[in-house]
Amino acid sequence: MNYLSQFYAVYGSLLNFIGINSLLALSLYVTLSAGQLSLGNAAFAGIGGYTAGILTVNFNAPFLVSLAAGSLFAGLAGLVLGLPVLRLRGVFLAMATLSFGEVVRIVAVNLTITGGAEGLIGIPNKTKTWFIYLVLVLVSFFLSRLRWSRLGWGFESIRGDETAAAAMGVNTTYYKTIAFTIGALIAGLAGAMYAHLNFLITPREFGFSMAVQLLCYNIVGGMRVWYGPILGAMLLTALPEILRGIGIVAGPVRLCVNGVILLLVILFLPNGLVSLFPTRKGRGKVASNLLSPKETKDNLSPEKG
Amino acid sequence: MTMLLQQLINGLFIGSVYGLFAVGYTLVFGVLDILNLAHAAIFTLGGLVALWLVECAGLAIWPAFALSVLFCGLLGLLLNRVAFVPLRRRADTYFSGLISSIAMAIILESAALGIFGARTVRFPANTMAIHIWHFGDVIITSLQIYIVLVVGFLMVGLTQFLKRARVGKAIRAVAENERAARLLGINVDGIIAFTFFISSALGGAAGILFGLYFDAMSPDMGRSIELKGLAVIVLGGMGSIPGAILGGLAFGLSEVLTVALTGSSNLRDAVAFTVLFAILLLRPSGLLGRARIREA
Amino acid sequence: MRKAKGWQGISLPAFIILALMLASLIPAAAFGGEVKIGFVLSMTGGSAAYGEAQKNGAQLAVDEINANVGVDAVKIQPIYDDDASTPQQGINVFNKFINADKVAIIIGPTLSSTAKATDPIAQQAGVPVLAISNTAKGITEIGDFIFRVSLPEAVVVPNTVRAVRERFGIKKVAVLYGNDDAFTKAGFDAFKKALGENDIEIVSEQTFAKGDRDFSPQLTQVRGLNPDAIVVSALVDEASGIVSQARRLGIPAKVRIIGGNGFNSPALIKNAGEAAEGVIVGASWNVTSTNPLNQQFVFAFTKKYGTAPDQFAAQAYAGVKIAYEAVRSAGSTLDRRAVRDALAGIRDMDTVLGKFSFTAGRDAESSPVVQEVTAGRFTAWGE
Repeated sequence: MNYLSQFYAVYGSLLNFIGINSLLALSLYVTLSAGQLSLGNAAFAGIGGYTAGILTVNFNAPFLVSLAAGSLFAGLAGLVLGLPVLRLRGVFLAMATLSFGEVVRIVAVNLTITGGAEGLIGIPNKTKTWFIYLVLVLVSFFLSRLRWSRLGWGFESIRGDETAAAAMGVNTTYYKTIAFTIGALIAGLAGAMYAHLNFLITPREFGFSMAVQLLCYNIVGGMRVWYGPILGAMLLTALPEILRGIGIVAGPVRLCVNGVILLLVILFLPNGLVSLFPTRKGRGKVASNLLSPKETKDNLSPEKG
Repeated sequence: MTMLLQQLINGLFIGSVYGLFAVGYTLVFGVLDILNLAHAAIFTLGGLVALWLVECAGLAIWPAFALSVLFCGLLGLLLNRVAFVPLRRRADTYFSGLISSIAMAIILESAALGIFGARTVRFPANTMAIHIWHFGDVIITSLQIYIVLVVGFLMVGLTQFLKRARVGKAIRAVAENERAARLLGINVDGIIAFTFFISSALGGAAGILFGLYFDAMSPDMGRSIELKGLAVIVLGGMGSIPGAILGGLAFGLSEVLTVALTGSSNLRDAVAFTVLFAILLLRPSGLLGRARIREA
Repeated sequence: MRKAKGWQGISLPAFIILALMLASLIPAAAFGGEVKIGFVLSMTGGSAAYGEAQKNGAQLAVDEINANVGVDAVKIQPIYDDDASTPQQGINVFNKFINADKVAIIIGPTLSSTAKATDPIAQQAGVPVLAISNTAKGITEIGDFIFRVSLPEAVVVPNTVRAVRERFGIKKVAVLYGNDDAFTKAGFDAFKKALGENDIEIVSEQTFAKGDRDFSPQLTQVRGLNPDAIVVSALVDEASGIVSQARRLGIPAKVRIIGGNGFNSPALIKNAGEAAEGVIVGASWNVTSTNPLNQQFVFAFTKKYGTAPDQFAAQAYAGVKIAYEAVRSAGSTLDRRAVRDALAGIRDMDTVLGKFSFTAGRDAESSPVVQEVTAGRFTAWGE
């Protein structure tokens, strides 16, 4: 038992981060499973985190209330953002969500209630490791069920070919918005829990870098199945510690390793690391179309001519 | 405002550097429909390599400029070969191309960090003799003039090249319709590689000018400009070169005026991104972009 | 259409956890007769210039102590880690030092912004922290385990302002400060208060953020207002940019630039070049101080590293010596409370900063100096 508590003393923080990052990765997974490349989940996490933090610090709200409020507020933001933005496709959607994210970050930097650029401090440490993993298990269970539900099929059809789906009568706007909002809810929840982890949150943590990180968790782990993003999050979050163990500390080498892993995965394992594991269908040879196979050059974005 | 004219002039000069950077982005997007997010890393390396040439190899600024720009062009070829060519056959090439450009950006930034260190550095003080001219209350420095001349020269050169030269026309053909270009016997793969060469060379040039203008370079200097570059090309119209320049100027001006009006740099980026957001929703093709995006 | 077995996707994560567990079995080396000191310094990020100087100063002190104490005496085992100039990374490193490495005392972190996030953790865990470069408000107030070697802006700035007003007769100034950092904000507050007390009018207050490169809008506005001087509270990267761009934008040399503690680095002179001539900075230490310990330090540092030390190096060096003295007089390398109490008891210790004592509030007790950049060096005003 002593060994375990020693292990926890050293790696407890890491386990917490792995849990939170896995949740965040899952939030992006939901939107990606409907074929939408959204880079706004970091901002939704930030909205959730700040809302929860402000409630706890300024109003002494109970922990669960803060979490719920953070998640709901982020979900609301997702809904409101989704309506105008989900008309866009591909890289344009990515840029729109990205600029939304930046605006949120700048707002957080400028308001006094969010503590400005130095962030919100004094948030009591209420998130415990077991709680994070409980939430993770619940969300994973929910998402694994979701995939085979009617909603999940709706998402899949849009991811396969949005135009065809619409032509077949699938209400694409409805499904896309739901996927987007669910993603925002989960991200908000993760952000709210994160806020209660380390006494403070700063705007910088919810910016472009984090949005790219979430995308990396999904790519590296695999976007086709619910445990892919979790795998990606675990590996990439633990990577600095593993590297530190073999003598590589923060600096250029560690950064390079991150980039190389991403490159190798995208070049050789487009379905992510989960494709290394055999499924009932046989070894992971699934068609390598991450988003939509029909997104060919001619009909991607501004029409030529 | 006491210094409005001066602010406008400053904004234009900064804007021209943004425009130069954005042209590289838009060139690749126009030809390949891919957003090359490693462009900002090449921007950084361009500046740092030029600094190294001046400081350690003892070159004068303009030879160093030329060599560094050449180096960045070659880096662009490498980027194309490693990160984009293997993905060309894939059905989802745009998405995976985006991701692999992110991966290359990380790798290139780590190279910059490893080779040049984490600190902010600048060109040595005597790199360029700076003359200052006063026009009433307004000051223009020789550096600003050089920047405008260089950007102007590159832009005119590029536009003429695309219009007149065979290779230039081939690039436009590939941008127009890749399959047709291939059928016409154009070496599409070679053209694409060449496009990357030009695009990255321009990005590197922008990095050097940026470093000269602000007297500050660091391995993460690409971060701030990378998002701005995206905003610029959307504003100007993706795939449009004059659009990129116009967008760059507009951004430079809006940045400077926002800070001047509010006395604070906090909202500077907010204006940029709100504009980007609005453009995407209202007129996604930007100011000078071609046609509309296909919507649901 | 069956889904993949979930448990198979768990094998890789399980492997990772197993790898971590095995890694942690490698025992942290724990020699007898050594005291572990954890250094949390900014080796990357915007404050890397300070962090590097601090590490050099600290290592010099560690080497001297380890070489000169007797065979049976306690030696220092320094552990350095990088806080990347961010609070998050600082928190990670603090947690590691407190729980994994079990250091006796933490020296750092470099930035006040980071300290505000990390010091409460050390306070809660009962680990003494010796700040060597935090100069903002509200650091030592975090708790009785937090000590500070560096003079706060609130002490240095009034001295600078008063001296400048006496020498130059300044009536109106423009102020530029970073509004996203605890230190630069504290500096601004201190300047504003001191300017008010000296009857100097502030004609404009402009702000900027860390990482900004373009200061032309703010400086152009300032130029139009014709102040007698410009007061700047910034970290070194922004300070260099402001100083060099100010001159380039046509602000004449007779309009002096007065800086806060962030200016106290040779990186400023290197990056701003000639524009840095005439810049005025208050400090708690100057390289030309005639204190014999200081002169030895300057000599040894220059010999080892090839450049003269700056204030950050000096305070790091002094910090290590003070920390060691506390450990020695506490007689323990592990009892953190005893070390804390010994720190609090330090009186009139001879250091490169002069005679050093902690105040009741665990801050440094010493007198600031005013410096001006002349011929590429920080020269103290004789006073």
